Formats: sequence, structure tokens, C-alpha cells
Amino acid sequence: MSMKKTGKTATKKRPAAAKKASAATASGAKAKTAGGGSRGDKEQIRALSSMSGDICEDAKKLQSVLDMIKDASAPLPVRMAALQTMLAASFSAANFDACRPDFLAALRSVVADPELEIRQRVLGILSREHDGYAQQVLLDGLREPAKALLPPEKALQLLSYDIHTEAYPVARQIIQNPPNPAAKLEAMRLLAADAASAPVFEKILRNKREPEDVRQLSASALHGLDPQKLQEHARKIVLDKSEGDQLRATSLTAITQFAKHPDMIKDSALQKRVDELRTGEGSAALKRVSRRFLAKFSR
Amino acid sequence: MAIEVSINGSAAPGARYVTWAPSPCSARLQAGAGATSPITVTLRNKPSASGGTVVFYSKATAAPANTLSLTLTVGTPVSFFVAGEFGKASVSDGDVALQILNGTTVLSETPLMVRIRKNANTLTPGERDRFVAAFAQLNNKGAGRFVDFRNIHTQAGKPEAHGAPGFLPWHRAFMLDLERELQAIDPSVALPYWRFDQKAPALFTLDFLGSSNSNGTVQFSPTNPLQFWATDGTPGIIRRPLFNVASEPAQNVLTEAQTLALGNKFTLFRGMEGNPHGFAHTSFGGSISQIPTAAKDPLFFLLHANVDRLWAKWQKKFGRFNTTLAAAFDSNAATGGNRIGHNLSDTMWPWNGVTGTPRPPTAPGGPMADSPSARAPGLKPKVQDLFDYQGAVAATSWLGFDYDDIPFA
Repeated sequence: MSMKKTGKTATKKRPAAAKKASAATASGAKAKTAGGGSRGDKEQIRALSSMSGDICEDAKKLQSVLDMIKDASAPLPVRMAALQTMLAASFSAANFDACRPDFLAALRSVVADPELEIRQRVLGILSREHDGYAQQVLLDGLREPAKALLPPEKALQLLSYDIHTEAYPVARQIIQNPPNPAAKLEAMRLLAADAASAPVFEKILRNKREPEDVRQLSASALHGLDPQKLQEHARKIVLDKSEGDQLRATSLTAITQFAKHPDMIKDSALQKRVDELRTGEGSAALKRVSRRFLAKFSR
Repeated sequence: MAIEVSINGSAAPGARYVTWAPSPCSARLQAGAGATSPITVTLRNKPSASGGTVVFYSKATAAPANTLSLTLTVGTPVSFFVAGEFGKASVSDGDVALQILNGTTVLSETPLMVRIRKNANTLTPGERDRFVAAFAQLNNKGAGRFVDFRNIHTQAGKPEAHGAPGFLPWHRAFMLDLERELQAIDPSVALPYWRFDQKAPALFTLDFLGSSNSNGTVQFSPTNPLQFWATDGTPGIIRRPLFNVASEPAQNVLTEAQTLALGNKFTLFRGMEGNPHGFAHTSFGGSISQIPTAAKDPLFFLLHANVDRLWAKWQKKFGRFNTTLAAAFDSNAATGGNRIGHNLSDTMWPWNGVTGTPRPPTAPGGPMADSPSARAPGLKPKVQDLFDYQGAVAATSWLGFDYDDIPFA
């Protein structure tokens, strides 16, 4: 299946529940989860916020919180608060390891919850635990978008917590034929851990037809994989008057922050160009980083 | 006439950083042309329109004064003490100068800094930019010294740092270690704190710790070097706020007043590990919301600076700097009844380098970073070394940091 086709399928055939949940998020799920709801909900949330310390010492209490997480009919803010209580306990409870298996099992049981916010939170938690089941669910969704529980950009982002090489082919395909711009960026972020992908980032960085945010991320990725190569490209971009301000500012930031001092002192062409940028008609950001460069590397 | 001034026991510029606590100093009239002895001199701040201000003490327990008279004889150091005037911290390196005058003649001028941990939401653009530049340098695109900090705070290290009385001392050491590494890059940097019980619109911006997009990927301005942040081989930061970062505090966290009201005994106060600490972490989706990944996000360190500030404020409120007071720590600790690493006399992992059960299998990062200005807590700190951070009980315990809203004990 080509990725172009996959991408279209991803937007057309996502589960109805996922679509409903997406709409809820777009219309302000942040506010909803941050404390909206009835007075009864607020009281429940308040009660939850005080019980993280001893949650694992009381089997009944633990079960009631896990049940809240699993109860698809319960208000979303209450379920989110129950998740927060368990996560807070994972930081502070001395014996959290004893209730961890029950917590993870409860999370796995709701990965296909009707609420996108729950699916996203739960798959995020499991991904940070390097949970194999969650990783497989995310990969399956990328390979077969009809099965996807999360948008591709979120799935790719979560897979980046524990990179296995099986994610690389699908990430490469998404870079070639992205279902949306965000998915391309997340696929690039994931591939930035792959040394073999350095030429891909170099190619994108050189391509002036690519959007600036894509080229900026390529610069970051290349900086990690091949710092010397990035410094060379960054210098060329700063000297190139046809490049956009944002990418020039990013490139000059990379040089100012990480370049070797003697090289910059000796580079009279770059010094001259940056001095022009400092006083030229470019953006305020470009002028700001030009001043920073000259303060650091002036002869 | 030449006068050598020592600050924090050293004439080196690297030691010229003071806090609200009196720092030991000395002035010595050097032999040479024009040196007449004895002479009476006056110490004062160089008048300055902005920046920090220092005060002087004839001895550590004396009352602070804006000026101090000393009598100097050739070759003999005369001791005095200098501290930042509470509420008047520096905003840049060397923005305070200690002048020594004979009459109206300035004999010497020594630049120094009142270096204080501040509310991140109130930093000047210069303070903010220096902080993010130093942090980005420490990370160095994922290849820098920050790797150790990321690898210390993991599931394997959890028992050393969480769920037991040593939570607060351990994290104080962790913050201090990181801050000293930042100061090795730029000595003017102090670790700012995220006051999570208040809105912090200036913190979650493109120019500071970044602004999260709808997917939870943090965006930066093109001039912010944190755009090159990387951990575990992957560039970027994942942080999805579950509250409105521009207008709300973190989700469901206790306020500062509620936290300080948890109780006057450490055994009660340490309940703050759950709320507000745990709830501040979990007010986000993304790396910061779980122990194994929390330290991947630079926000972790600003969150914990605030946790430490709350402990410091509690210590100040109830007088809990001295570990001989039972209420200053967990009562089991004096007899070694807590898990290893959580008793007052235990050394702390990873700085002690001890590995293998019951400690974690590795000890990333080596000993605690030292400081040109502060001697404590030493390379392999014990739990008890992290309490008297201002040197109020013993001047030698001074750790070299202070908070903008907590005066000297």
C-alpha cells in the first residue's frame, strides 16, 4: 500500500469514536480536562488530588480509582483526574511498584476508549513505559490507518520514546508521502535517531522548495547526526541572500551556539555578512542573533 | 596603593558570587609604592542605577550595614563579610562593585554578582537568554554533559530519589549539581524556578522553554538555542499541557500556602512529594509526566527548583535547618531506619559512585560538581549535607544558592 493512499485512508476511515473525540479536542478539551464539569465532578477531582500518597496501600481505593479510569460513561474530567492521581502516585508512593501491574493493565484495557483524550493520554503513558503492546498498536495504526487509534503524527511522536528500527520504514514512507504536514515533521523527528538518515535530512535542508519548519527540523536532526555537515550548511544559508529570515536565524543560532571560536574569528566573509544582517532590513530575530554572533566572535 | 580583595576565601574572579548569606571576605593592603600603613578605609557599593546591591558585616553575626570601616596594615588580611541585600539581586555578572575608599579616593573596585535563583516568570530577557544558552550548551544537541542528568533520573534511580524521606535532599543535590554545571558554562546563571501554583505566561514562550503545538511537540523561536535540544538520540521536547499555561496554574496543585500548612514536622511536610510535586509533573502529557522520562524536559529542573524553594521556605518558616532537630527530617533517619540513601548519614547515589544492589546498577555522572565559591556539600554528599543550604547553622555548610523570596535565616 502506498503511503499516499494510506494517508488518505487515515483521514477518511478513522473510527467514528475517534472522530467524535477529535472534535471534542478541537473544541477545547484542554479547558474541559482542566477542571470543567459539575460541582459533583469538581468534588471528585478534589478528592482524587489528595489521595496519591497512599493509593497503593489501600486495595479498595486503588480499585475505585482504576475503575474510574476504565469507566467510559464517567465524565472525562474525572477520568483524567483519576489518571493524574495514579501518575502522581508513581512519583511519590514508596510501594507503587506493587500496584504498577494493575495500573498498566487498566491502561491497556482502555487504549481503544471512545474518548481521544483518554486514548492519547493512556497510549502516551504506556509508550513512556516502553510497553510493547502499546507500541504494536501504534505501529499497526500507522501501517493500517483504518485501525489507527491516534492521528499518525501522535503515533509517530509516541513511538519516538523507544525507537525500534521497525518504525523506520513507516517513518520514511510518511516523509515521502505525508498524510499531513505534522505527520511529516514527527516522522522526521523519529528518524533523527537513525544515523543512516543523515543524507535525507541534508537533502531536505538543501531543498528551498520545502517549508521553512521542515528545513528547520532537518537542521536540528542533522546537527545531532553530523554536526560538521550542519555547520557547513548553516554557513551557506546565512551567506545566501535568497534564503528566508527564519532559516537564516536558525542557522546563525546554530553557528553562534555551537561553532568553534577560532573558525568564526577567521571567517571574514561570514563576519561581514552577519554585520550586514545586524543593520539590514531583516527580521528582528535575525538582527538579534546577528548581534549575539558578533558579541561572541568579533575580532 | 594596591589592595587585594578575597571573596568566599579566594581572590579569583570565579569566586565573586554572593547570595543573601554573609560570605567570608578579606582585604589586604599590598606592599609597594605609596603603601602607607595603617590606613582606614571604607567599603561600599559602587553607586549604580541598576543591578544588585550588597551589604557589609564586620562579622557574620553582626548587623548588616551599607558601609563598613576597616583598618588595614600592609600584608595582613582583614576579614569582613558581604551579602546581597535581600530583594536586590543582580541581573547580570559583575553588576555590583565593591569599592574600597580612602576618604574620597577609590583604592580598589571589585566586581561581583548577587546570584540568586529567581521566579522564571520574572527574568529579564538577558537572564532568560543566558540561561537557555547555557542549558542548550550543556545538552549540546544530545551529546553534552546533560546526558548524565538525563540518565540519573530514571526508573533504576527511583528508589534513591522518590517515595522516601530523602526525596527533598536528593533533589536539592540534583538541582545543585546541574546548576553548577550550567555555571561552569556561564557563571552568571542561576537556576530559575517555575512557580507552578501561579500562571507563568513568560515561561512557556517560544523564546524561553517553548510553546507546545497541538500535538504536544514544543516549538521554539529561530533564535532560541533550545531548538537543538535532543535526548536519547531524538531532537525536541514532548510536553502537552493539560491546563492553559498562559492563564492558569498547574492542574490541581496545592498552593504555596497549602503546602506550607502541611505541618511543622518533616514527616508531614514531605507529603508534598505527592501534591503539589506529583501533580505539577502530571499537569502535562509528555516526557515530564513520568519518572523514566521526566528529566528529558528542561522544565523538570525549573519544576524541581520550585519544589526545593518550597522546602527552603518551610525550613525558614519553622526553623528546620539543623538536622539535630527531630522535626527537621524523618525521625527514623537518625537511627538508620530508612532505606539506604534516605538516612541522614548515608551518602547519596549517584555522587557516591556506589553501584549494585541495593543501589542502582550504574552511577552516571561521577561526583558532585564543585564550585569556585562554595565548598559544601563536597564531592560525595550525605543526606545531612543538604539541609543548611544558607550556612545558618554552620557557615561551612553554605551551598552557594538562595531564592529571591527567602531571606537569610
